[in-house]
Amino acid sequence: MARSLYLLPAAAVILILIFSSIFVVDERQKALVLQFGRVINVKEEPGLAFKLPFFQNVVFYDDRILSRDVEPLEVTPSDDRRLVVDAFARYRITDVERFRQAVGTGGELAADQRVDRILRAELREVLGSVSSNDILSEDRAALMLRIANGARSEATALGLQIIDVRLKRTDLPPQNLDATFARMRAEREREAADEVARGEEAAQRIRAQADRTVVELTSDATREAEIVRGEADAQRNGIFAQAFQADPEFFEFYRSLTAYQRALRGDNSTLVLSPDSEFFDYLKTDQLAPQQ
Amino acid sequence: MAGSGGPWGGGGNSGGGRGGDGGDDRQNGGGRRPPNRGGQQGPNIPEIDDLVKKGQDQLRVLMGGRGGGNRPNGAGGGGGFEFNRTTFGIIVAVAIAAWLYQSLYTVRPEERSVELFLGEFSSVGQPGLNFAPWPVVTAEVLPVTTERTVDIGVNRGNRAEEGLMLTGDENVVDIDFQVVWNITDPAQFLFNLRDPEATIRAVAESAMREIVARSQLAPILNRDRGIIAEELNDLIQSTLDSYDSGVAVLRVNFDRADPPQQVIDAFRDVQAAEQQRDRLQSEADAYANRVLAGARGEAAQLLEEAEGYRARVVNEAEGEASRFTAVLTEYALAPEVTRKRLYLETMEQVLGDVDKIIVDSGVGGEGGGGQGIVPYLPLNELRGGRSTQGGTN
Repeated sequence: MARSLYLLPAAAVILILIFSSIFVVDERQKALVLQFGRVINVKEEPGLAFKLPFFQNVVFYDDRILSRDVEPLEVTPSDDRRLVVDAFARYRITDVERFRQAVGTGGELAADQRVDRILRAELREVLGSVSSNDILSEDRAALMLRIANGARSEATALGLQIIDVRLKRTDLPPQNLDATFARMRAEREREAADEVARGEEAAQRIRAQADRTVVELTSDATREAEIVRGEADAQRNGIFAQAFQADPEFFEFYRSLTAYQRALRGDNSTLVLSPDSEFFDYLKTDQLAPQQ
Repeated sequence: MAGSGGPWGGGGNSGGGRGGDGGDDRQNGGGRRPPNRGGQQGPNIPEIDDLVKKGQDQLRVLMGGRGGGNRPNGAGGGGGFEFNRTTFGIIVAVAIAAWLYQSLYTVRPEERSVELFLGEFSSVGQPGLNFAPWPVVTAEVLPVTTERTVDIGVNRGNRAEEGLMLTGDENVVDIDFQVVWNITDPAQFLFNLRDPEATIRAVAESAMREIVARSQLAPILNRDRGIIAEELNDLIQSTLDSYDSGVAVLRVNFDRADPPQQVIDAFRDVQAAEQQRDRLQSEADAYANRVLAGARGEAAQLLEEAEGYRARVVNEAEGEASRFTAVLTEYALAPEVTRKRLYLETMEQVLGDVDKIIVDSGVGGEGGGGQGIVPYLPLNELRGGRSTQGGTN
């Protein structure tokens, strides 16, 4: 019994020793073996690793791609307009030893702050050197590359590798937004007015053309009609001339009679006659005696 | 005894779980593990004592009679030997069961597992029952083929104004879209990005803003939407590939690209104006069609009337001419009589119809003819009387 009481602590001590001298580095990690703060060993490959118990301790760093979103900041491009810009960076701790030396015990929080500072400086510098039109254009990808390259050299000193910097928002500040909305509205209103005006213009043109065509059509028809009438009149004259030529004297007589018949009608004429006219030759006397 | 196996299994479980979390915890967990066990064993020390003793006994048995000399030392526990043996068996069985429970895991059809041998990537587990001997091998199960979505837009993402984007011509457009993705390479997905979902969201937003920033407003709102969705898909995918993220963008659902709320009315007004323009043109067209048709009808009417006139005039002329010719023929046969007859017949007809006043040449006149009284005739009265008479008739 007493012996087993000794055995137990001994086993515990051995276990503690074993467990404090091996450690596992995960696929997602890098490890730094420190001995009283001095870097003894860098373990970058995953797997089982050993250290001295108690004297050495292990610090793990994330080997995955880390991200840092930069809070929106206002930059002033070279044309003095202001833009609210935010960006994010993807970075990785490549040189853990240098990283440890640079940020001390701060770890990833410190890394975040450093990257943030670098990015803000680069954003201001790069975006301040171009005009806002360049930012809002095809050049944006090139600008992002410039920012990333600028940040990269600074980050290397910290043992960090900047993989990528991408701009997210490049917006107008809120106070300019209202002005932009007002301008957009005005543009739309102009467009709407333009549409209506064009519609009216087109409508008027269509109507005018129609009216013109109407006049053309009818006058054309009138001309044709007059020609036809003229031809008809000419034909009529020809017919009459041919017929009446046979006996002009009789025609005169006959036509006069027809004219009397047509012209002197009961409802439009009152004749004041003398009984001396030929018609009344027999009104007073039969005239037989004097004539015979 | 079986009850005490429970905490053991539980302890193992939590240890495994901690190992799976990765990060700094792992080291701490590893460091803490022995004292933890010690702590748990605290109340059970006699049990462990038995166990150790039993081990010693077995060792002695294995080592043969040499151990027999020491036997008197362990005589106190000798009475419970049979009992301890059963307990030992149960403990071993429970431990094996717990170990198996800890080591076996299932992978569903839409999932894959990633196995780590002492932290180092060893293999990808396919669907079915998988075996990862704890604690040397740990496994993480990921939903791989499951489609996952990231929504970006106003009131859909993290920030209220997330969907408002500035276009190349400095207009603001309100865009909602959804990125559908899944995992193509579980190992890459697990090992290369710390926060894949946030990364996909940030990359998608950034890509969309980049595309919008180099486009004009009008094409975004209508005709370029398909092109933009395609371009966006490619840009997100290539960016994620540059991180070796193991993520595939399946598609981008371009839900909405509208002018912002603040100005949407103005855009609707433009649409209304476009329709008004169409309406005005249509109305004018309708007017033109109506008027032109009327004009064509009128022209036709004029022509037809003229033709009618021609026909009438010619026919009448021919009729009259032939009538004259006929009368003339008769006249030639008996000129005197015919002439007289014609004259008298005509006068009869004319005078029979007409109001007439016959004034003798002798009445009140100095000279010949009846002109003497003509100035005194109440011609207007005569005419008026006749017309009133005509009216009453």
